[in-house]
Amino acid sequence: MSRVPFAHASEAELARLFDFYRIEWQYEPRSFPIAWNDRGRAVEFFTPDFYLPEYDLYIEVTVAKPARNTRKNRKVRLLRSHHPCVNVKLFTRRDVERVFSRSMKRAS
Amino acid sequence: MIGEPLFDARSIADRVAAIGAAISNDYADRLPLMVGLLGAAATFLADLVRAVTIPCHVDFISVNRYGDGDGIVIEKDVAIPVEGRHVILVDDTVDTGLTLQYVVKRLLERTPASLAVCTLLDRPHRRIADVEIKYRAFEVPDVFVVGYGLDYLGRYRELPALYAHGTWPA
Repeated sequence: MSRVPFAHASEAELARLFDFYRIEWQYEPRSFPIAWNDRGRAVEFFTPDFYLPEYDLYIEVTVAKPARNTRKNRKVRLLRSHHPCVNVKLFTRRDVERVFSRSMKRAS
Repeated sequence: MIGEPLFDARSIADRVAAIGAAISNDYADRLPLMVGLLGAAATFLADLVRAVTIPCHVDFISVNRYGDGDGIVIEKDVAIPVEGRHVILVDDTVDTGLTLQYVVKRLLERTPASLAVCTLLDRPHRRIADVEIKYRAFEVPDVFVVGYGLDYLGRYRELPALYAHGTWPA
């Protein structure tokens, strides 16, 4: 895990939590096209932070304050719209903090 | 930090009675083994075993907390062998589902006849591991809940109702 260039400390913390639970995870393994130009060429992509193969679940971590999550929410919404078979969850900074809060009490 | 109850003692008692009746019906003549996931589920389990109307066995299991060691392990194992038994795993709160799934996997390795999950609170907002929950008393929003065995830094376990705490422990 130490060699993974996480973009933010919250991502590294979440990876450590997955390691604690012995859950296989991949960091930014795939980019999904979410917008195309009029010639059908993809012009915007979304790369969720984590993929958990065991759950077939992508997790995107956003560290912005709730009021500034609009951009991430839009990308997640487009991903779900264009790739309905892809399971993705958006974890806000508060979500990450609360997962850790509960995990420190006892594993959640 | 706490105000009006999310669920008062009467509402809890009603739900415990309903789950106890469902378990009594589902497990008639099967002598279920009810396993409480320590420690907050102890209060719920204590009431639940008195709400069932069939014989049952009771045991407890616990895991270490995140930060204690390199990975999750069972700290206190069940004393009663689960092989061939109809196990009901009783939890206090299912959040991400990661701990519950770990315990379910460890118990299933021991080939019980069946394994079902019962939880006091289901908080699905951050669910990662989609563990099947057969019996749930209440679904709750993204709030930290105390009372009826659930604590905030060791406090409030003794309260007879369930309350939303104003903050989450740091």
